[in-house]
Amino acid sequence: MILWRAGYRNALRHPWLTVLAVIGVSLGVAVVSAVDLANRAAERAFMIAAETVAGRATHQVVGGPSGIPEDVYRRLRLTGHFDNSAPVVTGSLQPVAKPGTTFQVVGIDPFAEPPIRSFSSNFTDRGTLTSLMTTPGSVLMLPETAEELGIKRWQSLPVEVAGARRDIALAGYLAPPDQVARLGLGSVMVCDISTAQELLGMTGRLSRIDLVVPEGAAGEQQLKEISALLPGDATVIPAGTRASSLDRMTRAFRLNLTALSLLALMVGMFLIYNTMTFSVVRRRRLIGMLRALGVSRREIFAMICGEALLIGVAGTALGLACGKLLGGELTRLVTRTINDLYFVMEVGRLPLLPGALVKGALLGIVATLAAAVPAALEATGAPPRAVLSRSVIEARHRKLLPLAACGGVLLMAAGGLLLLYEGGGIVGGFAGLFAMIIGYAMAIPAVVVLLVNGVRPLFSALFGVIGKMAARGVVVSLSRTGVATAALVVAVAAGIGVGIMVGGFRLTVQTWLESWLQADVYLRSADFGSGRSHPPLDPALVERFSRLPGAGSFSLSRRASMETPEGFTEILSMEVPSTTFLGYPFKKGDPRRAWPSFQRGESVLLSEPYSLRHHLKVGDRLTLRTRQGAVSLPVSGIIYDYGSDTGIVIMSRTGYLKYFDDPKVDGMSFYARPGVSTAQLAAEIRARGGGQRLTIITNKELKKATMTIFDRTFAITGVLRILTLVVAFVGILSALMAMQVERARELAVLRAVGLTPLQVLGVICGETALIGLLAGVLSLPLGILEALILVFVVNLRSFGWTMQFQVDPAYLVEAILLSVTAALLAGLYPAASIARTSPALALKEDE
Amino acid sequence: MRPLILALAGATLLICLAFLLVSGRNGAGPAGKEMAMSVGEVLGGNASAGFSRAVAPRPFHFPEDHGPHPGFRNEWWYFTGNLQGADGQRFGYQLTFFRVSLLPQAVQRTSRWTANEIFMAHFALTDVRGKRFRFAQRYSRAALGLAGAGGRPLSVWLEDWAARETEAQPWSMKLAASDDGMSIDLDLQSLTPEILNGEGGLSRKSGTPGNASYYYSLPRMRTSGTIRSGKDTFRVSGFSWLDREWSTSALEANQVGWDWFALQLDDGRDLMFYRLRRSDGSVDPFSAGTLVTADGRSIGLRREDVRLEVKSWWNSPASRSRYPAEWRLRIPSENLDLQIVPRLENQELLTSFRYWEGAVAVSSNAGVVGGSGYLEMTGY
Repeated sequence: MILWRAGYRNALRHPWLTVLAVIGVSLGVAVVSAVDLANRAAERAFMIAAETVAGRATHQVVGGPSGIPEDVYRRLRLTGHFDNSAPVVTGSLQPVAKPGTTFQVVGIDPFAEPPIRSFSSNFTDRGTLTSLMTTPGSVLMLPETAEELGIKRWQSLPVEVAGARRDIALAGYLAPPDQVARLGLGSVMVCDISTAQELLGMTGRLSRIDLVVPEGAAGEQQLKEISALLPGDATVIPAGTRASSLDRMTRAFRLNLTALSLLALMVGMFLIYNTMTFSVVRRRRLIGMLRALGVSRREIFAMICGEALLIGVAGTALGLACGKLLGGELTRLVTRTINDLYFVMEVGRLPLLPGALVKGALLGIVATLAAAVPAALEATGAPPRAVLSRSVIEARHRKLLPLAACGGVLLMAAGGLLLLYEGGGIVGGFAGLFAMIIGYAMAIPAVVVLLVNGVRPLFSALFGVIGKMAARGVVVSLSRTGVATAALVVAVAAGIGVGIMVGGFRLTVQTWLESWLQADVYLRSADFGSGRSHPPLDPALVERFSRLPGAGSFSLSRRASMETPEGFTEILSMEVPSTTFLGYPFKKGDPRRAWPSFQRGESVLLSEPYSLRHHLKVGDRLTLRTRQGAVSLPVSGIIYDYGSDTGIVIMSRTGYLKYFDDPKVDGMSFYARPGVSTAQLAAEIRARGGGQRLTIITNKELKKATMTIFDRTFAITGVLRILTLVVAFVGILSALMAMQVERARELAVLRAVGLTPLQVLGVICGETALIGLLAGVLSLPLGILEALILVFVVNLRSFGWTMQFQVDPAYLVEAILLSVTAALLAGLYPAASIARTSPALALKEDE
Repeated sequence: MRPLILALAGATLLICLAFLLVSGRNGAGPAGKEMAMSVGEVLGGNASAGFSRAVAPRPFHFPEDHGPHPGFRNEWWYFTGNLQGADGQRFGYQLTFFRVSLLPQAVQRTSRWTANEIFMAHFALTDVRGKRFRFAQRYSRAALGLAGAGGRPLSVWLEDWAARETEAQPWSMKLAASDDGMSIDLDLQSLTPEILNGEGGLSRKSGTPGNASYYYSLPRMRTSGTIRSGKDTFRVSGFSWLDREWSTSALEANQVGWDWFALQLDDGRDLMFYRLRRSDGSVDPFSAGTLVTADGRSIGLRREDVRLEVKSWWNSPASRSRYPAEWRLRIPSENLDLQIVPRLENQELLTSFRYWEGAVAVSSNAGVVGGSGYLEMTGY
């Protein structure tokens, strides 16, 4: 009882310290749970959507880049008698009134559906099926989706789909059989297959054919028979493939976010450690007296842990609440990035995910307790008399320094080994990174002593006695300053590391764009979705634009994606002038030697991530499923590409037309004739567009737009970086404030012996500024080390991108300024309060 | 008559159940009585606006009228038959194609999946010795060659179930269908000219004008070919019956079910009669039939010409419904007194619209004349 009261009084006397500790925990928990929530929400959204849409299908027939010819389905039904099969045409659309919101269009044949899916519909009259099948643009959706879009039954809604503005009409409602299906259908519009073909410009083609095949030998036989009926570029894959390949595609991205959020938690832990240590040290007299009075070690231990638990619970509760809010925002960012980089998806409503909350809560409380244990041990470890002595603690602490430093160095070495081990994967990369950070942090107090002893003469020369005192203060109170410095270093270094990495990446992309985008004007169909591939251009238009007087030459391109048992393969086919080809950013291979066979469609180029993921080098052969069956083509070059981390296969249009039944073009680019300006060329194209909805963009604008997307993608990284810094800032603030508040008596003595309030301020601020400066300086090597690990290990393993490494001095200056500012700010409050209090009063205070 | 209500029910069920069916194969539909009610309710509106209606007798032209009549909402080709194997095994089969139009006029759209018509087909096989009754149901839109009717020579098909014209004179068709555990491959040749039912082919269903269909039959088609029941294949021969009907009819609210007889007698006479039952248990005055004499004359039958008695009942274990099992059918004016017994008790189709349709043996109470036939019972 007395213990609890003591703890309670203690908290009341320094409410701000308690509040800061709670804030520290809550920030860490908030960041972790928000990132977890966002990741899981995104993952759930595409998994459930993929599974709901797949229904009971066990297998799927998938085709080439433009899908499967619809006659394949008739053949399956009429010749093959496979009645457990259902055709599907899918794509996406965006309501005009809700730009940025994407819906998946799922076109089905209701009569083939029963064995596959049960998106049942409440048909109350024959009108629903009739209009679904006979009225162009009729769709079904969930009642709540209709409400969100503000439409009622039979009303129409303007949408952007396949590069055109069309009207769809709500013919009826989907009635999902259960809650999971309801979640999966949140961003889905179901329509007849004819409507889907017309809306998506896929007349004559199917996206896939869903199959229900029994298990065992009978099923194997059926699959064999089905395969025999398929054209060369079509194949049968298990139905689970899609969901898992979507998962695989985004796993690296999501893992990186989680690691960044753990960094925030780690900084938060430093904070808690700091607070708890301080609260123990400050109460050493009290604890000593309690021990002398007969309070057992166990009880003291329980008291410290109980306090930590309270802080942990309060901070965690607050953190979870903030995490939920933050999670909504992060989900939006994550969704946008996935849309930009991977595939079109939509997270309708943020579901309540108990898993994420429980994980966040556990992490918060356990981390708090873990951080409090050293302090609790310190309080109980020493005999009662020794506890009373502050100097004993400091002495013991200093004895531990070499040990901690050695441990740190060992840990860093272990981290280094982990990083060098190629097979470690992304997790290994992050484990190495964290080992480096923790090891470095452990060595920091020892380094601080060395450095402070080094700068002390300088301080005393510059600021006299006050300077000397400030410098000594840092060393003397190392039990606090050491940890505070380490926390600050870790946070600031993370800022530097991530900053350098993003900066280097940005520079890399800029350089890459220079060699990748060589034409003067680019044309593609207007597209309001944020997906990577664009709707095809009208062939008549392509024909018309091929004879542009202002253009010296032009290129045609088509970006299409093919589903394989291993996931999606993106194929970029291009008809480009040889000069453009020769200017491509080759990583491996000789453009001059590659050109002839590439042009004839007899070899392909791979993007760097593709070659890394599939372990293909120049000279290896890539096997593609084409309409002539499996075709094996040599790889004549590896080029840098930062558009896709799954990688792309690049082939000439000649080859593409030969291998795939897809004459469509989705992009054109033009090279201005000498004497014609880019603006003139763009105007000429615009004039000939003839009212078509096109995006005409000049080279400069396109580069700018690409960089905008780049920045948008890394917005989330930036946000996390700032959050980590905020956690660190709060950390250093609380640590230094705690330290100075504790020294109230000592400072009062200084006042009593004649130091003016200004001089006291000088001592305090000098001390904190020195800590800030040390932290800033110490964070530089760690930050650069982190950037190196991120660029050369984590990113390469996660995304397969080679990046330039460039240390922008701005990040370094920023880091030092930041830490010094934080430290100075932390010194101001205690200094001001000391200055205000009369020394006599402060001296009278017992403690 | 019989398939009329069935098809209307089928059409509605297409709408109600296409998305709801647990399985296209054997999803048990709601009880027939309730269905018949809801069919009446659903089709009671003006859903038929714009479609042609059977109002007055019309001239029939063959072989054109064997083909589809797209202006009408519903139409069917209804084949049933009693067949015998070389060593006397008896089989019954049913292969029915229903055409349902969604709109009176075809829609012009670019997708080849665009369809204004839906086809539904039922296929059933009765193996009397093996005591097995198998049935299957299919749906499809009339698009992309998946299902359709038309052409010269005529084809009516739903995926790989098909009836195709093989000869125009005498009218001959080839039927082919297969499903789990059963298949048929039969050649049918008509032995009679087309028999027009009702008033020169106009078959009235109720007092409401337009609630009528155009209805003709080919009651005796010589049939031979092969069937497969389970793992065994049999060469078979016998007689088939083709009913053709098209309409844009609505069902009266008080009509709840019907019993339909199509009997081929050994003396060369063919008898079709349907009894429409009302919700109050009485027999609808629009019940009617046609008797074709051995020399090809047809005699119209009204309700009062035919006496029907249920001699025994059968309880379906699957649907728990009670169906009449044995019948006595008398036509005093024609001196007919027939005993009608199902060749197999259980010939119930648990399709989206549940009904009993199966092969029956006919014997004369006086022992003078025997025969075979098909019986359909709905609304039980």
